[in-house]
Amino acid sequence: MSSSSNMRPLLDRVPAYVREFESYTPSRPDAVLMRQYGVSHLYRLNNNENALGPPPLAQEALAAFAPVQAAIYPSGDAYFLRQALATRFGKEPERFLIGNGSCEVISAVIKAFCQPGDAIVTADKTFAVYEWVGAFSGITTRLVPLRDYAIDPEAMLAAVTETTKIVFVCNPNNPTGSWWTRAALSRFLDQLAGRALVVLDEAYGEFVDDPDFPNGMEVMEDHPNVLVFRTFSKMYGLAGLRVGYLCGSREAVDIVRRTHIVYSVNSLGQTAATAALADDAGHIAATRRMVAEAGAGLRDLFDALGLEYVSGAGNFIMARVPVSDTLLYRRLMREGVMVRTMTGFRFPNWIRVTLAREEAMGAFARALRKVLEIR
Amino acid sequence: MSVDTVVSLEMPPDIAFARVATAAAETLALCRGLARRESLRFQLTIEEFFACLVQIADGALPIRMVLTGKRHQVRVAFRFAATTLSLGALNATTGASVALDGPSQDLGLLLAAKAADRFHIEHEGQTQFVLEAEVDKTYPVAGDIAFTTTFRPPFTARPCADPAQLALAAALAAARYPAWHCPIAMQTPAKFADMVEAGDVCTVLAVDGAGQLAGLLCWRPCGARGLHFSGPFVFTPAAQAASVARLLTERFLEVVAREPRDIVFSQRATADVPPGYFESLGTLALCHQDGCRRQDVLFRHLQEDTGASVWCHPALEPFLRETYDRLAMFRDIQPVGEPATQDRGQSLLSATLDRQKNLVELAPLLDGPDMAENIANHVRVFHAKGIGNILFYMDLSRAWQAALAGELLQAGFMPGFVLPHAGHGDVLVFQYAPAA
Repeated sequence: MSSSSNMRPLLDRVPAYVREFESYTPSRPDAVLMRQYGVSHLYRLNNNENALGPPPLAQEALAAFAPVQAAIYPSGDAYFLRQALATRFGKEPERFLIGNGSCEVISAVIKAFCQPGDAIVTADKTFAVYEWVGAFSGITTRLVPLRDYAIDPEAMLAAVTETTKIVFVCNPNNPTGSWWTRAALSRFLDQLAGRALVVLDEAYGEFVDDPDFPNGMEVMEDHPNVLVFRTFSKMYGLAGLRVGYLCGSREAVDIVRRTHIVYSVNSLGQTAATAALADDAGHIAATRRMVAEAGAGLRDLFDALGLEYVSGAGNFIMARVPVSDTLLYRRLMREGVMVRTMTGFRFPNWIRVTLAREEAMGAFARALRKVLEIR
Repeated sequence: MSVDTVVSLEMPPDIAFARVATAAAETLALCRGLARRESLRFQLTIEEFFACLVQIADGALPIRMVLTGKRHQVRVAFRFAATTLSLGALNATTGASVALDGPSQDLGLLLAAKAADRFHIEHEGQTQFVLEAEVDKTYPVAGDIAFTTTFRPPFTARPCADPAQLALAAALAAARYPAWHCPIAMQTPAKFADMVEAGDVCTVLAVDGAGQLAGLLCWRPCGARGLHFSGPFVFTPAAQAASVARLLTERFLEVVAREPRDIVFSQRATADVPPGYFESLGTLALCHQDGCRRQDVLFRHLQEDTGASVWCHPALEPFLRETYDRLAMFRDIQPVGEPATQDRGQSLLSATLDRQKNLVELAPLLDGPDMAENIANHVRVFHAKGIGNILFYMDLSRAWQAALAGELLQAGFMPGFVLPHAGHGDVLVFQYAPAA
C-alpha cells in the first residue's frame, strides 16, 4: 500500500493560527480595475498617497538612477539613509532600522518581542497590520474600543496584562485622524511604567502642524520603552518604493534588528528617501496646503449632502454614507474614483477619502453626488 | 468555545475494518453523550458508507475517516480516491423498492442516507472525494415563554457565550418571528446554544441597561467565503426597535469585518433590518397555505470584490449580464454548452427539507446522464409532499453545474438572484415556478 501522505491536506501541517488566517488580497492594478469598471481614468483616493509625489530632490534622484545600478545589491542596512536620519533627528545611526515599508518593521518588532501566548494591545478601529501580524504569529491581540473616534488611553492601559509585550498606538490614528496630545501621551507612559513596549506609529505625523502634537523622537529620550515608526509612503510620496523605519533606544533597536531581514529595502528606495530628507521643508508646506484646501472642500461637500464625517489629522477624511460602503465603492469606481471602504476597519457604511489635488477632489464630489442620487 | 473530540483513522478499503470504524463511532457517541438511538444511527451511517466505499474506492489507497464530536452533533468525513462514483441511491427520491432492484450497495446507501441527518460530497481534484455525514443530538422543543415589555436604555450589543442567555434569545426569536426568518435550531433553544458554543453559529445579543435581552442577530458560514445571517430579531416595543436593530447590525458587521470572509448575506432577514446597510440581490416568492409574499435577499461585501469568472449557459447569459451590471460587479462570463457526456453513473442532488419554512433546497453533488430526470423526480416528490418553495443552488464556478441550466429551465425553475462568492464562486439561485 502506498504512503498515506498524499491523502492528508497540506493545511493539516500548518499551525492553527496560520491555518485560520486569511491572506490579504490587495486591489487589482489600476489598468485591470479600469478595464473591469469600464473607465479610462482612475482617481486614487483610497490609499492616502501624496498627490504631489516626492520632494523635488527625490524626484531628481529617481531620474538620475542609472539602470545599471539595478544589478548591484543595495546597502543591506540602508547605511546612507540611516546616516541621513541620524543627522535629521540628532541620534546615532544605530538607533534606526529601515524596512520595506513600516509593515515590515511592525512584523520585525512583533517577532522580536513576542512568542505564542504573549499579547499585544491596540485599538479595535485602527491600522489593521498590527492585528494581522499578531494573528498569524500566534500572538493574542487585545482590541480596545475607540472612545469618541479616538484611542482611549485609560482603556488601553486597562487592557495591559502580564502577558502584554507591545502596545501599538497609531498617532494620529488611521482612519479617524485623532491624536494624543503631549500631556495625554505623557500620562499614558507614566501610568504604563514600562510594563510593555510602546510603538508610536507616526505614519501621518508629518501632516500635523500643532505644537501640542507629541514628537515621538523626543518622547523616546525619556521613555526607553518607546519605539517610533515613520514612513516615506505618505508625506514623502514614495509609497511605490516602500521605505519605512523605526527608531528607538539602541538596546531596543538592536533586539529588533535580530529578526529583521537585511537587504529588504531596494537601492532606488534608499536613494530617493535619502534625497527626500534633504529637501522636505517646501514639500511639506505644499502638501499641508493641498491637504487643508482639499479638506475644507470635502467638509463643505459632506455638509451639503448631510453626511456625518470625522476629520482629524492626516491627509484623509472619513464619512458615513447612507448606503453600504462596499456598494458605494463599486458605484464610484464606475465613475473613475477609488475610495477606501471602511468595513474592514470596523466602520461599516463609512468611507475614507484621501485629500488630494483639486481635479481629483472635484471628480470625487461629482461622482458622489451622482451615485447618491441614483440610490 | 467547547473543544471538539476528533478521532482520525486511515483504513484499507477492506470490509474487515468496518467493525473498527463503527467501534470508533460508538465510542465517540458515548463520549459525547449521544442517546442510544442517535448513536445507533451514527454507527449505521458509518457502517453503510464504509461498506459502499470499500466497493468503489481506489483499492491502492486508504480511506481516511475523521470523526468529530461536537456538543450538538457527531460528524464523519471520509476522504477517498475513486475513478468513478455513482451514488444515485443517496438521492432523497430513492425508494426502498428502487434500491432493492439496484446494484448491491444501493440499499446500504439508502440506509445511510436515511440514518444521517444530512450528508455532503465534495470533489477534491479529479479523483479525490470527501463524503461527510452528520447525526444530530435530539433536543426538547421550546416551551412557553414570557416576554419582557419594559426596557431601560441604554442598549448595548455584544457577542455572548452564556448558554442560558442564548437559549432564551433563541426561544424569544422563534416565538416572536415567523418560521421563515428563524434558523431551524431556534425551535430547540438548547441546541441553538450548543451550536454557538461549538462555534457553528455566532451571535450578537442586545441587552438593555438592566441586562434584559433586547435582541439577537446570528450567523453561520456558508461556503468558503460567505456568512449567512438571520435577524435582526428585536424583542423591544416598536418605539425602541429601530435603534436596537441598528445596534445589532453595526455590532455584527464590526465583529465579522476582519474575518476571512468576502460577503454576508441573508435570505431570511427580518423586516427590522435597518436601511442602508445591505444591498438587495433580488427577491424570493415565499408561498404558504395562506398565499405568497416577497422576501428580499440581502447582501454586502466585507472586502473589495476583485472580480471572478463564472460559467454561463447561453440561456442565462442575458440574465447574468443584467444582474452583474446592476450590481456593478465585474465578472468574466465564460460560455458552457449543454451538459457534456458524463462519465459518472447516476446524478446526485442534495435535498435539505425544512417543513417549518415549507422549503426544500436542492444542490447538485454529482453529475450524471440522468440529471434531467433526477431534477424532475425531486420536484415531483417534494411537490407531492406539499412543499411550496423549491430552490436550486448552482455554483457558477463549476462548469458542469452551469451546464445544467437548460434542464432546470425545462423543469420549471426560473433564475432568481446571484449570491456573490457564496460557494466556491458565485451561486445562482433558481426558484421552482411552474407555469400557471
